Amino acid sequence: MLISYRWLQRHVDLSGISPEQLCNDLTLSTAEVEGLEPFAPQLTDVVVGHVVTREKHPDADSLSVCRVDVQGEQTTESDLLTIVCGAPNVEAGQKVAVATVGTVLPGDFKIKKSKIRGVASFGMICSARELGIGEDHDGIWVLPDSAPVGQTVAKALEIDDSVIEIDNKSLTHRPDLWGHRGIAGEVAAIYGRPLKPLSLDWPELGQEAPFPVHIDSTACSRYLALPIDGAVAEPSPAWLQWLLLAVDQRPIDCIVDLSNFVMLDLGQPNHTFDRNVLAPEGIHVRMARSEETLQTLDGEERTLTENDLLICTGEKPVALAGIMGGESSKVGDDTRSLLLEVASFDAVTVRRTSAHLSLRTDSSTRFEKSLSPTLPDQAAAYFARLLSELQPNVRFPSPTTDLGDWQDPAFTLALRPERVRADLGAKIPDSEIISILERLGFEISHEGDSLKVSVPSARATKDIRIERDLIEEVGRIHRYDSIAEENMLASVKPPPHDERRLLVRAIQDALAGGARFNETVGYTFIDDALLEKLAMQDLPHVQIQNPVIQAETHVRRTVIPNLLGALETNRRLHEEIRLFEVGKGYLPEKTNERGEPTELHLAGLVWASPPPLAKASFNENRFSQLHGVVHTLLNQLKVKDFVWRSAASVPSWAHPAKALEAVCDPEGEVLAVVAPLDPGLNAGLGLDGDLSSDVAIAEISLDALLAAPHRASHYQAVPKYPGIKVDVAISLAEDTSAQSVEEVIQQAAKAQLAGVELFDVYRGENLGEGRKSLAYHVLLQSENKTLSDKDEQKFLRRFEKMIEGIGGELRKG
Amino acid sequence: MSDHTALLAQAQEQVQASDSLDALKGIEREYLGKEGRLAELLAQIPTLPQDERPTAGREANRLKQAIVEAVEVKRAELAEAGIAAERSGDGFDPTLPPPRTERGSLHPITQVTRELEDLFQSMGYSVLDGPEVELDYYNFEALNVPADHPARDSHDTFFCEGDGHLLMRTHTSPSQIRAMESFEPPFRVIAPGKCFRHETTDASHDHTFHQMEGLVVDREISVAHLIGAMKTLLRGIFHRDLEIRLRPGFFPFVEPGFELDARCPFCENGCSVCKKTTWIELLPCGLVHPNVLRAGGLDPEEWGGFAFGLGLSRLVMLRHDIDDVRHLLANDVRFLEQF
Ligand SMILES: [Zn+2]
Repeated sequence: MLISYRWLQRHVDLSGISPEQLCNDLTLSTAEVEGLEPFAPQLTDVVVGHVVTREKHPDADSLSVCRVDVQGEQTTESDLLTIVCGAPNVEAGQKVAVATVGTVLPGDFKIKKSKIRGVASFGMICSARELGIGEDHDGIWVLPDSAPVGQTVAKALEIDDSVIEIDNKSLTHRPDLWGHRGIAGEVAAIYGRPLKPLSLDWPELGQEAPFPVHIDSTACSRYLALPIDGAVAEPSPAWLQWLLLAVDQRPIDCIVDLSNFVMLDLGQPNHTFDRNVLAPEGIHVRMARSEETLQTLDGEERTLTENDLLICTGEKPVALAGIMGGESSKVGDDTRSLLLEVASFDAVTVRRTSAHLSLRTDSSTRFEKSLSPTLPDQAAAYFARLLSELQPNVRFPSPTTDLGDWQDPAFTLALRPERVRADLGAKIPDSEIISILERLGFEISHEGDSLKVSVPSARATKDIRIERDLIEEVGRIHRYDSIAEENMLASVKPPPHDERRLLVRAIQDALAGGARFNETVGYTFIDDALLEKLAMQDLPHVQIQNPVIQAETHVRRTVIPNLLGALETNRRLHEEIRLFEVGKGYLPEKTNERGEPTELHLAGLVWASPPPLAKASFNENRFSQLHGVVHTLLNQLKVKDFVWRSAASVPSWAHPAKALEAVCDPEGEVLAVVAPLDPGLNAGLGLDGDLSSDVAIAEISLDALLAAPHRASHYQAVPKYPGIKVDVAISLAEDTSAQSVEEVIQQAAKAQLAGVELFDVYRGENLGEGRKSLAYHVLLQSENKTLSDKDEQKFLRRFEKMIEGIGGELRKG
Repeated sequence: MSDHTALLAQAQEQVQASDSLDALKGIEREYLGKEGRLAELLAQIPTLPQDERPTAGREANRLKQAIVEAVEVKRAELAEAGIAAERSGDGFDPTLPPPRTERGSLHPITQVTRELEDLFQSMGYSVLDGPEVELDYYNFEALNVPADHPARDSHDTFFCEGDGHLLMRTHTSPSQIRAMESFEPPFRVIAPGKCFRHETTDASHDHTFHQMEGLVVDREISVAHLIGAMKTLLRGIFHRDLEIRLRPGFFPFVEPGFELDARCPFCENGCSVCKKTTWIELLPCGLVHPNVLRAGGLDPEEWGGFAFGLGLSRLVMLRHDIDDVRHLLANDVRFLEQF
């Protein structure tokens, strides 16, 4: 909201308080000031000129050559400026606004000496439009005769002003501050200066029958109607135009300008109708019917619902209550007979209508803050009095119609001064508490140890409700920046052991550390097209009703789409990508009794690089290596007795045959899934051709990890005797699993087995069709002695015999 | 005898001339080896007349000692020269780059969040997690923002499909109520997390961002305590004392509500970060509204509290001089690997 410093001075004496000081103090006591700008600074750059002579341009009929005095006293003929002017209305004797050579006008337009059709011109006589203060460009701006020549236009017209911009958000709770009078009240309280009285006396009202009004909805608690005759839609006087211009309102004519002025001064919106188009039965306030339409003043056809409040005449809607008037009842230039409406409309109704029509106006912004129903008669009297001052011929043929079921919201609250001091943590004496509240317009009386505070109507609609609200009033005028800091008395307990957070950190540290992954944080909304590429579009997702980007309507179930979606652009720039994210996913198909979707806490990993070379060894591929990373992580996290097996349910992104899952309990929750990317998805993700990639993905459930059994960290004795390393290579049928070989190694080594490691997988003609070779390092160790060659031979003999049991053959050499 | 003198002179000359330990070893072998020249000499001794043998033996031994001594002296000399040569660093190029060792990285949001969690935990705060898909009740209703409250406008909410009770949380403040439901007072809690606002994305706005809520519930909590706690917090974040000021700010769930400004840590007389004001708006805060305490099941006559909200995304940007918020969630490795 814009506030004019000069306008404020109509209500409170600001002498000795600079606009900067005022802004600072308003910010610290009332509301955030977002900006302070001089009003129309260009008017301090142009000067008042006197057109001494005007002659037709020798070579162009439409141009005038003027001799202009811009110095005033003691000007000689030679000091006059020659200015060529194209405006039809320039005349000798006029006072005009002159931009001399070197002046910069709005739009970065710099005035230079120029030659126009052979005549040298030393400046420009400006139109209001060129100065950015009006639309009128039919001609130059003619200033009053009294304007002193040579002075800046701003000074000559006494319109030096500063425009203060207040953050609307910080006024959400203050319906009383949506006008200059309200802000002036704050200023008065801050500086302890009196608020100038405002004359709200009614002009003389006639005795004709009051205008008929019928209220048919509780959404209108008060409706005040005042017929006006003989008003002329002439331009407003300069003082009014300048104040409106300062707060960025375009002056239109006297009626519209006054209506705006009253709203911007008192904060009470109001509306004028052409009384001639209102039916004899007058005004009817009612809720709209479904699908009823109204053409509003902006020319739009609005389709309404049963929740919208209408001002009608007879059956015909003429205004959208509290938001905008209708086109049909607009006051035209020839309208002499008006009806002024000043009403109290329900804040929620106005807010809902304004929201569903996406139609926010100065009026709706104020109504939705809950204005006091005591305001309409003040605003109406103010309007009527000002109008009769501006246009003495105006008549008010009848008394006001003032209907409605409203009540003055003023009430009283008890305030404990002790509580003020305790909540603010400041020793503010009773006298200061009382003084601050009185300056703000509250009335105080004593009642035992507490104060009885009368809350004025304007503050009583929403803003002030409870004792704490009054404490805020005292605090902000006393000023929070004058309260000294204090330490809390310790009632600190050590925070509870937070396993989930420790787990998140352990995973992040392991992956970003030794595993060398880059951590990402991704968006929760997933692009529809990406979900389709991952064949996830048919899974249930929490959906967004009003996305910012039309295609991003899905709330993710897992972090995997974010990671896979990031591959293409990253792979263009890097050979190898290792990314992980710890984040959340939501499942709408499983909700709790309050309707909240199930929240999953997940870690996702993706590892991608160009496909492995043909000669790469059996585990030089992303899947094997990511499997290793996750396996090591689960070990590091001390998950007890987990095993890997083929995934029972394969996620859509995973290779359908190669997905593995880790579980502790065969029936229990899956801890982690590791898989190569489903080869069918590469192309869709842009990972083909030059970007052809070997991609492995893992998803870890933090919820399952927290629930899984964990190994106790008991120390195990370091072996006393050295072990011996035995290498075995076994030829096997292709479909015999590594696991079965390891079982045989275990049986053959008995209690001496201290470690098994697969180090080669080999296929070759020498093995025969359908066969493979697995090679292991086996570590044998004893607790009682150093093992010898004899022990190794014993193990090998047992193993050779036992491996035959699964169709294997120990390879020698 | 002159045979011996000549042999020694020859050996000494050869030893002296040798320029490497290998060459010296060769010379040693030539004279002192099993089949060396000294061995030849010794082999002749038994052929000498009996009475000359002892003298010849002594002479041969003296000769051997002399050669051994010469070799040892030379060996020490060469070893020393070798070390000296290595130490000279000839041919060393100090500009050769080290081999590239890739490393992983933690997201800057993670890093700042952890730092703050540690700071707060050291002051007795617990860390609470809250859902991103939130109930209207926690996000608005229980925070003293009933349906149709104008304050809802400034929250630009993403609504979820369904009966209208689910939305994407617009702030971390729902954690205030969740904290009151899960902790016995007095308590102190922080709740970092992701939040969402329905707004068009540009360099300084993203529809998804990170915040951290703080809440202290205790008996007799005042504005003075809030100021003290905020100063401590800022000391922890910026590692020095910053002048702060509280000014009125409207948030329906606190009363009174404040905006906390701190003296710009980046300048003395105004800069682009503080928009030339020397103050930066750092965090909203306030005393918990009695209605919010009640919604959390606490009696406002018995318990009080203060709450604050920290913009984590903004802190990350301030710390690393990041000029575009959209980098944070873009998953670009070139960005991530810098942290
Ligand atoms: Zn600065």
